[in-house]
Formats: sequence, C-alpha cells, structure tokens
Amino acid sequence: MEEVDKILIHALKQVGTEVSEEIDSVRQFSSELIVQAVVRCIQVIDPGLGSSLPTSLPPGMSARFRVGMSLAQACQEIGYKGEIGYQTFLYSNEPEIRSLLMCLVEKLPREGAETSDQPTGKSVVLQRGIAAAIKAQLAVPWLPTHCRLPLNIETQSPEALHSFHAQPLRLSPFTKGPEKKQLKVKKNYQRDILPPVTAQLSFHTSLMASLLEKHTDELSAAQEWDNEWNSQGLLSRLTPKEYRSRKLTRLRKRVKEQLRAAEVPASESAFGGSRSNTDLFELLQTFKGSALSDLILTKGTHFTHTKKFTFEQESASVTNPIPSGHQSESDIQDRQQMELAALQHQFQQLCSDGDQLTADMKHISVTNTQMLNELKQSELGISEKENKMQVKKKTIGLLPDADDNLLKLQVLVEASTKRLVNLASQWEKHRAPHMDEYRTLKEICSNHDLESSRMMSEIRSLHDKIRISTEEARKKEEMYKQLVTELENLPQDVSRSAYTQRILEIVSNIKKQKEEITKILSDTKELQKEINNLTGKLDRTFAVTDELVFKDAKKDESVRKSYKYLAALHESCNQLIQTIEETGTILREIRDLEEQIETENGNKTVSNLERILDDYKCIRHENSALAAKVREG
Amino acid sequence: MVASLSRLPVPDCLKLCHKVVDGLCGREPPRRADYSATWSLEEWLELLSTLTAFFRLAVGSNSSDEEVLAGLRDVVSSHSEMLLSVVRDREEEIHRALLDRTNCISSTTLQDFDWQLKLALSSDKISSLHTPLLSLSLDLRENGDLRPVTMEMNREELNTLITSLEAANKVVLQLK
Repeated sequence: MEEVDKILIHALKQVGTEVSEEIDSVRQFSSELIVQAVVRCIQVIDPGLGSSLPTSLPPGMSARFRVGMSLAQACQEIGYKGEIGYQTFLYSNEPEIRSLLMCLVEKLPREGAETSDQPTGKSVVLQRGIAAAIKAQLAVPWLPTHCRLPLNIETQSPEALHSFHAQPLRLSPFTKGPEKKQLKVKKNYQRDILPPVTAQLSFHTSLMASLLEKHTDELSAAQEWDNEWNSQGLLSRLTPKEYRSRKLTRLRKRVKEQLRAAEVPASESAFGGSRSNTDLFELLQTFKGSALSDLILTKGTHFTHTKKFTFEQESASVTNPIPSGHQSESDIQDRQQMELAALQHQFQQLCSDGDQLTADMKHISVTNTQMLNELKQSELGISEKENKMQVKKKTIGLLPDADDNLLKLQVLVEASTKRLVNLASQWEKHRAPHMDEYRTLKEICSNHDLESSRMMSEIRSLHDKIRISTEEARKKEEMYKQLVTELENLPQDVSRSAYTQRILEIVSNIKKQKEEITKILSDTKELQKEINNLTGKLDRTFAVTDELVFKDAKKDESVRKSYKYLAALHESCNQLIQTIEETGTILREIRDLEEQIETENGNKTVSNLERILDDYKCIRHENSALAAKVREG
Repeated sequence: MVASLSRLPVPDCLKLCHKVVDGLCGREPPRRADYSATWSLEEWLELLSTLTAFFRLAVGSNSSDEEVLAGLRDVVSSHSEMLLSVVRDREEEIHRALLDRTNCISSTTLQDFDWQLKLALSSDKISSLHTPLLSLSLDLRENGDLRPVTMEMNREELNTLITSLEAANKVVLQLK
C-alpha cells in the first residue's frame, strides 16, 4: 500500500494540495487534509463544480456537516461509485479514503502525458520557444531609457538592432601565386599594413554582417562549382582546369556573338552616325586584338569579357593629356575653351573621316576578295589547259611511229597491270594483320569506354549517396538535439523506471498467486471427489451388510443383536460426520467474524463514535444556543 | 600628377596608396585631413583620381611589371617601385572590385539586402492570428544613389517572389 500512497501523495501535490513532508501514507491524513485534497482534485477535474466548494473545513459543526454533504454529492456527480457521505470526510477510515482518492486521481486530466505524446514537430518546438520568450519578455518590467541594463536593451530599445550592411573584407592570404618573391612581398604587406578584420571597416556595426556575407559568398561559390562539376564537369571527362578553360572560351564566344548581334543592326541603321556605334565597333576591334592575351586568365566568369568594356574607357581617360602648369585663370580658361572647341571640331571631323574611311575600307575589302576569287579561278583554268596541252603535244610526237609505239604501250600497260595486281596482293597481305589489330584495338577502346561510363555512373551514384547520407545525418542530429532538449525539459521528479519495475513485480506476484489458487482449487476438487467416492462406497457397503445381516437376523438371535449394533454404529457415525461438518462451518464463520472485527477495528469505530458523540453534543449545543438567540430575538 | 607623390617619403606613401586601394575596393578611402599639409584640395582630388585610374588600368589590362613601370616614367624610381609593389599586393582585390563594377553595369543594382521574420500573434480584429510575416529590405543603387526598398510579405507572397527569382536564376544559368 505504500507505493500507492506515494503515487497518490505525489499526484495530490501536483494538483496543489499542501501535503507536509512527514505524511507518507493515507492513514496519516487528517479530515482537513482530506477535504482540501478532494476539493483541489474536483476543481481540476471540473472547474465549474469545484468553484463553489471551500478548500478548508469551517469551524462550526453544522457547517462542517453541510460541507461534507456537498463534497459527497460532488464526488458522486464526478462518478465515484462507492459508498460516500458526510461521514467519509468527517469520520474517515483509511480504505474508503484511499479508494476515493484513487478514483479522483485517475480522473485527473493528464495534460503532461498528452502533450508529450503529441508529435513534436519543429514548428511546435518553435512556437513553444516563441511563447516562452514572449513570456520572459513580458515578465521584465519596462524601464526608462537611462535606467536600462544591457539585459533589457536587447528587447526594449530598437536602436540596438542594426540593419545588415556588408562591406568587402580581406581575410585570408591569397596563396595562389607560386613565385616566392611575390609571396614575400605579400607577406610584408600582410604583416605591416593590412589591418585586422575588426579595424578594416568604417562602421563597427557591420563587422558581423560583412563576415557573414564573405563566408556565404565563398561557400555558395564553392557549392555552385561543386554542383556544376558533379553534374557536368565529371561527364565531360576533363580535368577541372581544362573544363574551366573550355567554358571560358565558350562564354567568350557567346558574348562576342551577342555583342556583334547588337552592333550590326545599329551600324546599319545609322551608318557613320552617332558616336556610340563607332565606340562599339572600336570595342569589337579591341576584342579581337586582346582575345589572345585574355587566354592567360585561368579563372573565368562571364564578367571577364565585359570587363574589357569598362577598362577601355578607363584607359582612354588616363591617356588623355593631363593639363599641367598654372597661369592666370581667366586666360587659361579662355584658352582651354578655345582649345577644347578646336579639338572637338577636329575630333568630330576626324571621326567622320574615320567613319568614311572605314566604310571605304569595307567596300574595298569586299571588292578585293571578289577580285582575288576571280584571279584564283582563272589561274585554275590556266593550269588545266596547260596539262591538256602537254598530253596533246606528246601524242602528236608519238604519231609517226604508230605501230611500234602501240606495241610498246601495250607492253607497258600489261606490266603496269601486273604490277598493280602484285601491289594489290601485297597490300592485302599487309592490310589483314593491321585490320585485325585495328579491330582488337577498337574493341579494347569500346571496352574502356564502357568501363569508364560504368565507373562514371558509379561515381555519380556514390556522390548522390554521400549527399543523401549527409542530409540524413544532419536530420538525425537535429532530431537528437531536439529530443535531448525535450528530455531535459521533462519533469524529473517521478522515476518512471521504478514505477514500471514495481508494476512488473506486482504483475509477476499476481501470476504466482493465481497459479497457487488454481492448485488449491484442483486439490479441493480432488478431495471433494474422494469424499463423494468414499460416501458412495460407505452407503453401498452399508446397504449390502444391512441386507445380509437382516436376512440372518430372522433366524438367529445373536445376529439380531449384532444388527441392532450395526444400526446404532451407522447412526452414531452419521452423527459424527455431521458434527465434523458443523465444526468446519463454525470455524469458517469464526474466521469471517474475526476479519470483520479487524476491519471494524481499522475503521476506528470507537474513536469515531466518540467523535460523533462529541460532535452531536456540539450540534445540540449550537442548536440550543441558536434557539436561545431566537427566543431572545 | 602621380609625380607629386614624391612629396611624401616612401613608407607614408605606401600607406596612402593602400588606403586608396581600400577606397577602390569599397572600404574607407584616405582622409584629406591627414594630408592637407602636403597637397591642396585640387591637387588632392586629382591625385586620388589619377591613382585610382592608374590602379584600375594596371590590374584591368593585366600589364606586366615593365608595362607598369613604363607608365610611371616621370616618377622617382623608389616611388614607382613602391607603386608596383602595391599593385602586385592588391591585384586580386582590385580585380574583384573591377569585376563587381562590371557586374553592376545595369542602371539599378542590388547593393545589400536584409530580412526580418515576424510572427503576427493577433490583429485588431482577430485575437489569434499566428501568421509569419517576412519584411525584406533591399538597398538598391540607382544611378549611383542608394534607394531603400522595404516590403512585407506573408507566406504566399513570399512563395511567389521566390518562384520568380528562381525563374530569373534559371535564365541566368541558361546564359552560362
């Protein structure tokens, strides 16, 4: 019973009953405590019902009686099926109180259990966290600006929050340059001049933002490259460097095409017109010129191409002659104006000249290529005609000695055919092994190809697997963290394992008891059977002996006597059995009565009776006092 | 104009040049108050612009040491050496800054962005709302001027924004 009492007391404490530390069983509960516990339980189970109940017993006896009655009614309404009345509370006995309290505790709503059973998603945890934070912030009192501690500034003064502004930072040394001299110079710079990261910024507040920005920048660049390399780079079967340079040239070509496409219609619509077109044309010229030097860049983005565009303007502005020397200002200004006008005029003229010249150039170059083509064609025709002429010349030279020459020619032809056949056979001889070799090599190559593609697919699947497993690991880690925090948040005062162990022990005990009971039951059944058997046997033997002796008794006097004895014996034996049975029932009754006495003793009947008598006297006293008051009134 | 650098000794000059590069890369440029004794305002501005232009040209055109030195013929040799060392030291940074400049070729570019996630618990009409709201603030540079743009979005609006941004990213990827 101690375990049960502990659980009950723990539950009652959680509900809000003030149970002192010394009390560790229901036996020690006073009436006051019982009333308080019951009322608290009812208030939690059914707030509407419990709100009208007082949590402590009033001093007046009749008022106490009334409280007991209402409490009993409330308990019945909640669903307690046992016997209950005012006496349960005022003149308590242990088992009744225990069963009542157990019933009430079972009916308590299990908030904790329900919430912990809920699926604890991320959003739930987040919402709970938000709720807790808001609660904490609401608990902090508002303070005027000057009295704020650093603790409150975070939540109460919005100026402490800075907006996110990032500035470029220089962090790690660029260790790409392989030359030692350069490294040394850089080291000098890093040692002597480069300020620490915290001093690099003009606003101290943007330090965190800048650091974060730099980090994400580098991270995203690395990730993008990783993705691209895994998806396309690996398939192209090139080294990273080769892949990059190939991409660079491809992009450059694209940009060139785009620029050209944009430039052509513009130049056609306003040929030699506005400045911007010629600018673009010049730009294209520079592009062609600088394409080779650009190839030196190992790292390429699509900006590299447009970069030229910007720097071109830069260089123009730098190479402009910078005015030097100082004279009287108005003079200088006038002269500058003049000069500027003259120069502009000259410049415009030059521009138009240049445009015209470029147009002329185009025209001339087109005609030039045409002419060149014509020239080539005519040259071809000439060489063909020369060949023909030579053949004809030879035939004319051979004509006089026709027959001889014919014969010679035939011989020559035969010899050449023979040689041809010979050569063909030789060629075949050479060709066959080469062909075989070629075929085997081809096969090997295709095998290699197959294998490499298989390896590629394997690599890709491995990459996928790696990604998936890292994701999984991350998820599980998060889940683990969440669960750990939840575990820490859970109330630790009730040791669940002890309870479960107790429950298991109790269950095993009950099992054992059940086994014993069944054993005893079977024993008693066997005994009953045996008794029945014996009584049957006895009856039958008696009947047989009775008959035999009765038959003989008619003839013999002595036998008649013995028959009488037999009858007497039988009767006394019957009597004996009956008495034994009676003693058994009486013993059982005695045991029952003893048990009843014990329970009655447990109910503190005597003390309760005394208390009832006292209370009765009290009530009578109160009644008489009231009657006296009425009479006086 | 770079020649007037020789009014300062080499170590001070080195510091100044690094400061100029800092300004070029988007950090704090050198302050005139520190050098007001050496140069007049006009000279100062001119010096700054020529120095920046020099650095940009040197890194942008990928010129070799000789080419850089050839452009500094009118400067004292110790100073030109110093300028060269600055160029070599900060090459990567200047390169990156130039790329950024080219990247921002369009009229309006995104300079910075910041976001805050807010949870609206209730409104004047609904007691329990529990709606997450995202306030996104963009710092746009429009023809050289900063223009802040702030907007607040609920979940659906944010989704539309993200899908449109993803579509834009797809176009960029196709260009690659």
